[in-house]
Amino acid sequence: MKITTDGGLALDADRAPLSRFLKPKWSWIGNVLLLVYALLTLYPLVWLFISSFKTNQEFFGKPFALPTTWNFDNYKRAWEIADLGTAFVNSVIVTVSSIVLTLFLGTLTAYILSRLEFRFKGILMSLFVIGMLIPIHSTLVPLFIMMNKIGILDTYASLVLPYTAFELPVAIFVVAAYLTSVPKDLEEAAMIDGNGYWGTFFRIIMPLAVPAMATVFILGFLRFWNDFAFALVFINDQSLKTLPLSLSIFSDGYGTDYSLTTAAMAIAVIPTIIVYLIFQEQIMKGMVAGSVKG
Amino acid sequence: MTISGRLRTFIIIGLLPALLIYAVFVLIPIFWSAYYGFFSWKGIGASTFIGFDNYAEALRDPIFWRALKNNLIIVVASIGGQLPIALVLSLILRKSTLFQRFVRSAVFMPMVVASVVIGMIWGYIYHPQIGILNFILDTFGLESWIRDWLGDPGINMYSVSVPVIWANIGPYLILFISAIQNISSEIEDAAKIDGAVGGKWLYLIVIPMIWDTIKVAIVLCISGSLKAFDLIFVMTGGGPAQSTELLATYMYNNTFEVFRYGYGSAVSTLIIVISMILVLGSQLLMRRK
Repeated sequence: MKITTDGGLALDADRAPLSRFLKPKWSWIGNVLLLVYALLTLYPLVWLFISSFKTNQEFFGKPFALPTTWNFDNYKRAWEIADLGTAFVNSVIVTVSSIVLTLFLGTLTAYILSRLEFRFKGILMSLFVIGMLIPIHSTLVPLFIMMNKIGILDTYASLVLPYTAFELPVAIFVVAAYLTSVPKDLEEAAMIDGNGYWGTFFRIIMPLAVPAMATVFILGFLRFWNDFAFALVFINDQSLKTLPLSLSIFSDGYGTDYSLTTAAMAIAVIPTIIVYLIFQEQIMKGMVAGSVKG
Repeated sequence: MTISGRLRTFIIIGLLPALLIYAVFVLIPIFWSAYYGFFSWKGIGASTFIGFDNYAEALRDPIFWRALKNNLIIVVASIGGQLPIALVLSLILRKSTLFQRFVRSAVFMPMVVASVVIGMIWGYIYHPQIGILNFILDTFGLESWIRDWLGDPGINMYSVSVPVIWANIGPYLILFISAIQNISSEIEDAAKIDGAVGGKWLYLIVIPMIWDTIKVAIVLCISGSLKAFDLIFVMTGGGPAQSTELLATYMYNNTFEVFRYGYGSAVSTLIIVISMILVLGSQLLMRRK
């Protein structure tokens, strides 16, 4: 498989047109089918956003129609009643802390494992590979018991530390794969200039690794922002709940107030959709590269 | 300090934090859960050592086996649903025109949406009274097709498989597109001259040429199916009457709903063993072909 230097997959070659697969006169039918398929795929999300502006009567009576008046008020009420402001802040704090920690530790470890020679290097590498095979849900119970014992259950740390731990293998492999494609001249020059290992890492490696770190950033953002299982098990305090957790609890309580629930769901989804619309090529390549290595 | 001494200090200090977090939160819990599996513990008070009782109880529980079967249904649905759709789409979506990029983005979009939200959306689609699926059937005069899609134990595992497939086609599509682009144009032209177009082209040229990628995709389907926890937890919680229980929801419900931490730990350990068997087994099988 072709992996490009930024750790992603090549997607841009443009030499095998539809006509190779279908005769030309059929290709417009193919395109219509394709369009129908794309719209069907998008429909559940479009339906969510349309529903979030409706009244409850419209939600039941005309599930496919546009709202007669666009009730932006739903968003305001959902935000206040579900206390989404608090959940939003919690999600931001947890996501940002986990990303910063993952990026720093992942890049540092990738630098050491890919650039420096020492014993046990191979063992360490395979240790991190094992981590990618472990289904995260199987660690919920032992982590719960363990964090309960050391008293960090129900704190930001009970999410930030496991998030970072589970994202480290992907981060290390994405950055290490990228670093192997970069010549060593710069860091050798930096070492000769008396920068030392830390100086070389901060001044040369970190700036060099930015494209790979961007991939790690995007993967981490989506994983941390959307996580449900860890938050469900490790967070009980109302004031610490993240968006997905608040959402599922809110929908249990206000399940029949559909305009409120759909508005709350839309609020939780909007940040990831915006990030996706801006960085879609990077996200597609990054998620595939991350999962193939994972 | 000597150069090698400085190198060593840097390596140790540099690796220590990552290794520590990784070991404490990923590796060590596996051993703890195997160990806790030997105890009966309610979360508070003393725990009693009961040997292999928890493990034996899980293996004797028909619900545990149903959960495993449901996990396998998700695996089969992923391999049989996601891969063919992604493969067909990848044959068409190889250009970078605006239209093709739009379709690609649309197919990939559910990947970035929180699985809680996906579960809730599909919960509404399937809802027996207000769901849009039954609304459509009703509108088109297909009243006899109307079902309680998530409540009927005969069909609800298939109902929950649909959103799993829908949400996860994107990565396979991208994977296949980049694999097909590696087929050289000489092979394509030669195949065309020999009359291998359409279906023949797919079966005789494309599938054999990208077989390695398909193998990777199958392994990803298997390991990915173990992650369907969020979706099913939100849509059905494993119910009704534990008919949609997955191994992970079974573990969750037995631990955090009835406070049997020892039993939950034993089930967690079994999940690790089963997923290792599935992933390693599939890789071995694939290697032979």
